[in-house]
Amino acid sequence: MTEVGNTFKDIVCTFCGCLCDDIIIEVDGEKIVKNTNGCAISKERFVGHMENRCLQPTVKGNPVTLEKAIQRAVEIIASSKRLLIYGLSSTENDAQREAYRLAEITGSVVDNTTSVCHGPTILGAQESGETTAALAEVRHRADLVIYWGANPAAAHPRHIPHYIRQPGEYIKDPKKDRQIWLVDVRETTTTRMVDRFLKINPATDLEVIQTLRALIRGTKLDVTEVGGIDIKELEEIATAMKTAKYGVLFFGLGLTQSWGRHRNIDAAIRLIQDLNAHTKWGLMPMRGHYNVSGANKTSTWVTGYPYAIDFARGYPRFSPGEYTAVDMLARGEPDAMLNIAADPVAHFPRAAVAHLASIPVINIDPKFNMTSQLAEVNIPAAIAGIECDGAATRMDGLPLYLKKVIDPPDGVIPDRDILRMMIKSLEKVMK
Amino acid sequence: MSSGSVKVIVTSGRTLNQGRAMEKGKITQDYEDAVALCEMGSTTMEALGIENGDTVIVKTGLGKINVKAKLNKNLPEGMAFIPCGPYFNYLLDSYTQCTGMPGFKSLEVTITAARGAKIQTVEELTQKMKEGI
Repeated sequence: MTEVGNTFKDIVCTFCGCLCDDIIIEVDGEKIVKNTNGCAISKERFVGHMENRCLQPTVKGNPVTLEKAIQRAVEIIASSKRLLIYGLSSTENDAQREAYRLAEITGSVVDNTTSVCHGPTILGAQESGETTAALAEVRHRADLVIYWGANPAAAHPRHIPHYIRQPGEYIKDPKKDRQIWLVDVRETTTTRMVDRFLKINPATDLEVIQTLRALIRGTKLDVTEVGGIDIKELEEIATAMKTAKYGVLFFGLGLTQSWGRHRNIDAAIRLIQDLNAHTKWGLMPMRGHYNVSGANKTSTWVTGYPYAIDFARGYPRFSPGEYTAVDMLARGEPDAMLNIAADPVAHFPRAAVAHLASIPVINIDPKFNMTSQLAEVNIPAAIAGIECDGAATRMDGLPLYLKKVIDPPDGVIPDRDILRMMIKSLEKVMK
Repeated sequence: MSSGSVKVIVTSGRTLNQGRAMEKGKITQDYEDAVALCEMGSTTMEALGIENGDTVIVKTGLGKINVKAKLNKNLPEGMAFIPCGPYFNYLLDSYTQCTGMPGFKSLEVTITAARGAKIQTVEELTQKMKEGI
């Protein structure tokens, strides 16, 4: 039993890929009044869930009923020749499944926010494989944890305190028995939380990783420094990595968004593979949106591919750089867009936004965002994990059930139900 | 008033304030305050002749945008930081190296002091992009 009166225990936080599942939420009437255990962002998400809310469907800025908004959305979709469906990482698995169904019946492109976060991670893994671990295994076993190009203190505030600086079965004292290192191009708030900080020059990740690989293989290098780090220090790092009992490399967008993209990840995976010839190592992407990992998984289950999928020929085709949202928009290809639980206007480059502003956009989101300012149709949605249930996937691939703790505002329904209404209506129109 | 300009590499990324404000809502003062800023080291600020909180113009080949300067003593010389969001992305090109991923991490920019100049709101910036300016 997790509910006592108006207190809900073991609630999963739906902010970042940590999916912390020890949150205690207190509800008073129609308001969430307290979030215990959550980070500062989690508290804002739960306690501030009614702030900046979109409560009324609109078409061209005019309030309409949900049915009228769905009707206009269906008209836009049915008349579109090249619909782009995007977003999906801040919603739950069932909504994602409905989006793929919609893409299939309309012959559209469906992409999720992976393409602008850990898309290169997937490309790297497709090239070189994957050596991963469960977060619990990391807590129990890892004596060396390295964050590379990640700032968990800002983006995953409880990653270190909840999963890493905790005692485990074989790590009795997490401060003494476990080393935490950080590799980045600048000092961040995470720097203060780690045992060692290694500052590398911008855009040199690939060189530093490849150097470590060479040193781990025993190659002598005729250089004095790589990426701003003295070769002697790199040799010492390589030895420490080889002699760790169990190491884990967590990497962030500093590796996926910088020069080299998926080649950085490809190299990082191969570094871990090399290390596994000597000891046990794993690596894990620091997934940002709470269910972006789920978006990749549900997409792969349903279509065979994790993102950037085109159904124009009636079957799914995968082509990053071609069917990824930024590339499609920058080329001016889509003639309509259905955006679900994301904000491309805030997070895409200007040229992509310029095209987005020139086409009809259907925006499904619980709150007002920058995309809702441009969208022809806005449909409010319930917040998964707060106002409706669902399932989401943690950054290590563990699926978790999201509980509902409070009713959504009147007339506001989950993303999955909005998409089902669209599909039902489209199936009639497209017969 | 401008006191010259500096050329730096600007990188973008998450901040705690940006995350909190994003969860509160994008069309809020909190969000604008969290993302319409440019962090830079003391050397850069001295070179520009500006103080914490002054407006600066950040410019690339694509365009320019006004944001608030914020002192970050930990940033190395030649590097600035803008939290991920619409103000940084306004300056960013769409080239993805055929991966889908734009180059969010290293943008060559020129920063110019513009003490007292207005910073556009999130809504004004959206409108500007809508009009293709």
